[in-house]
This record gives sequence, structure tokens and C-alpha cells, in this order.
Amino acid sequence: MGENIRWTPYLEKMMEQVNQLSITEIKELGGKDITPLSSFTSSGANGSCRAFKTEKAEKIGIGSFIVNGKLQCGLCTIFPAKGYDLPAFLSRWEEREKEIAFLVDFVPTVDFLVDEEYRVKYLESMDAIWQRYESLAGICPEENDSVRAVCSIIYTAARVPVEKEGMRVAALAPHTEYLKNYVGFIKSASPITSDTKQREVSRKVKAVRGVFSSYFRECAGKIIGSDTAELLSTIFF
Amino acid sequence: MARVKYEDMIPFADEILERHKLFEGIELEPLETYLGMDTKPAWDYKTPMASGFYKPYLIKGSDRIEKIVIGELHYMRRAKYCILSMTASDDYDLPVFACEFDESAPRLSITIDLMPMVDIAVHPQYREKYLDPLSDVWRKYRTIPGFTKEGRCLIQRRYASWPWARATLSPYPLDGKIEEPGDRYRTIEAIIEYARFWLDLLKKAEPVKDPDYKQEMLTRKRAMQKYYRDLDPGGEVIKKLFGEEKHKLFISLVF
Repeated sequence: MGENIRWTPYLEKMMEQVNQLSITEIKELGGKDITPLSSFTSSGANGSCRAFKTEKAEKIGIGSFIVNGKLQCGLCTIFPAKGYDLPAFLSRWEEREKEIAFLVDFVPTVDFLVDEEYRVKYLESMDAIWQRYESLAGICPEENDSVRAVCSIIYTAARVPVEKEGMRVAALAPHTEYLKNYVGFIKSASPITSDTKQREVSRKVKAVRGVFSSYFRECAGKIIGSDTAELLSTIFF
Repeated sequence: MARVKYEDMIPFADEILERHKLFEGIELEPLETYLGMDTKPAWDYKTPMASGFYKPYLIKGSDRIEKIVIGELHYMRRAKYCILSMTASDDYDLPVFACEFDESAPRLSITIDLMPMVDIAVHPQYREKYLDPLSDVWRKYRTIPGFTKEGRCLIQRRYASWPWARATLSPYPLDGKIEEPGDRYRTIEAIIEYARFWLDLLKKAEPVKDPDYKQEMLTRKRAMQKYYRDLDPGGEVIKKLFGEEKHKLFISLVF
């Protein structure tokens, strides 16, 4: 049954957006060669995960893998380069035969209640898109409490029931649309001019990375084994 | 969709204070002056279009409270705009307990939350101490019809038009629009559970000692209060009904 699923082309569609940037592939992270992960097999999973960088993004992690023909996991993360206050981009995709669970967000890198300018620029400008996806079937809060706690006010999460094939494309739309807008922010980003703001951003990026990487290692470790999950976490976080 | 007559709307303050006895065992005393303003004009007010009260309190003998306020604004026997808010004094980093409870014939629009006083992404221990214990309660009540509708859980979306207000929420808000009378009453149980949890936190609260952390907390607290006092859409209605001076008093008590 599961083998006949026509998986959503998550990786291809997301790469189309990432390719709008002048990216350079990262071959080594933390002293480890990550090129074998561009085509890997582990614990019944096979897929491709790669990392890139640009002048304004320290790391772009992107990949997908299929587990035992029954689950497609996709992930795309982007962290700003030092000196830029861009939010982090997060897209998480879990596709099964009858349901797609996902989260997509611009994860803030400052206290966006206090920093109004930041909130207006990066988050409120996405309000119309965020509101449009309220009508998506299965919309719901992000289930993981730690992850939800670092999300922004424009995150979109859902457990979309796949009642017809068109639902897969509908579920992918928020990811490509958020990413398209995020790529636009990268292109127009200007360096931070305040040391205080830089310290705030660095502190928060570190905290956000910590939350996501421990969540990822816990979830992915159960699916693809802890060693592969650990290595993948260096690509994404 | 059930429409509820004004006479059948929930007697908010009575529910909280009398039926559920939220403050039983706690000695409340009136807060007569707030931010240099005499609060007595808010205790009981009446105009041709609106009547009600905002009753502010302290806890006798406690330095931990900035204000506890319970209020109802009855508008033309058509709708009731009720609030319960509890704010700790500046030496304590407790979240703000905030509840808006706006009932009209077609629906109850409600927000219940413990709004964090610091950025919880960089202070995860704050979340673990003050917010995460609400996880089960949040999951229990978010299934109330209205919070969840046609398979979609719309929590964190009531303030769609007010992004600054969404930015004040914790990861555990209960916010949305409830229609059926029985479901409206269930939200009272949620208010009581959140409020009792907050009062329990208050009992155990210790003053903040780290000056940098305190500064960060107060910056956020002031920003939050300023947003609600300056931008809350209910404030404009209060201004039209009661004039500038009472608007300033009422809105300062509410937030």
C-alpha cells in the first residue's frame, strides 16, 4: 500500500526557491565530511540532505528522506550569518499516505514583542499569507511545546488529511511561499549596526538552534538511528 | 448556531468569585490608587449606554501584587465585556494572568493566558517553571468547540488583526470564539484552572535578584502594558463611552 504513494516533490520545490540565491555547497561541518549524506541509506531510510551557505546565511540545510516506503520526511532550515538579524527559516514536513504533518515559520532572532521594527519588517509583513492558510484543512498549533515556544506569531502548522491527491500540493504551498518570501528578505538584508543587537541575535540564535537540534535528534533518532540523526543535525542546525 | 439573550449571559464575576470562590482564603483589599489615579470612579459606573465595574485589589499584607482586577462592562443590554487580570509587582517575574471574556448573542470571544515577562526562547527555565505545567490543561480545553472547528484547531488566531497582541501570548493561550451556551460555560472552568495555577505560583514566588534579568523583564512588561493601553481596540470604545480621563483609568486597570 505505502509503496504506491506518489510523494510530494518537497525537496525539488524547496530547492527551486533556494536556488534563487547565490549558494555555495558546504562539504564539511564540524570536521566531518557530509558529502555522503547527499545520497544516504540508514535504518530503512534513504534520501538526500545537503548544506549550503551564502554571504548572508551561515547555513542552509535542506533535504528529504523516505522511511520504509511509508513516510517522507523533509526539512529546510536557514540560519542568518553573523552580522544579520534575519529570522531563522524552518520548514518541517512529515508525509504519510493519509496525512501530512508540517510546520513552517520565520523563527525570530530577537524579542519581537519589544523590537517593534523587527516584528513589523519580518513578521507582520507575512500576516496576509499567514491568515490565508488559516482555511487549510487540519490547521492546528505546533504540538511540541518547546518548538512552539520559539515559534513566531506567523507560524503555520497543520495535520492535513490527504483525502484527495490535491491535498499534498495544497500542504506544500505554505512552505514554498514562506521560503520565497524569506529568500527575498535574505536578498535585501543589511548588516546589523548595533553591538547590543548583535549580542541579542547571537544569544537567541544559539537558543533556537539548541531547541531545534535536540528536538530533531530525539525524533529523527527513532526513525533513522542516532548516529545518522546526529550527523544530519549538523547539517540542519 | 445558538443565540444567547442578555439575561442568559454568563454572570462572569459571580461565577469567578461566588460559585468558584477563586479567592477563598485570600484577603483582598481595594486598590484605591493606581499610577497616581483615584480608582474609585471605576468601581461602579453607569452611563445611558453602559454600566459596570472594574474592581482593583491588592492582597492584604503581600508585596507581590501590582493589581488584581475583575470587571464587567455591560453595553446596551446587548453584550458584556468582562476581564480578570492579575499582575505581580515589579520585583517578581510571574507571567501576567490575563482573561478577556466578551459575550454577545452569537458568540463568546475569549482569551485566557499567562503572558510571559521574558523572552522564553532565551529563558527556557522560565517556560519550564511558569508555563509548561499548563500543558495538559491547555490540551484539555483547546478541544472546546470554537477553539477547534471542523477539524481545525484555531488557537493562537483570535488576535489575527493585532500582531502586537499575538506577540504577548505564551505557548499555552486559549483564545477563540465559542458559540454554544454549554461550551461557553466550559471556558469558566478553564479560567479557574489557569487562575488557580497562577495563584499557586504567586504563593511560591521569590523576588528577582539578577539586575540584568530584572531590567529585561521590566522592559518587556512596560512594552506589553503600553501596547494594550495604547492600541487595544476595546480602548477606543471605552473612550467614546466614558471620555478621555476615565478611559485612561479603566484601560490602565484592565492591563
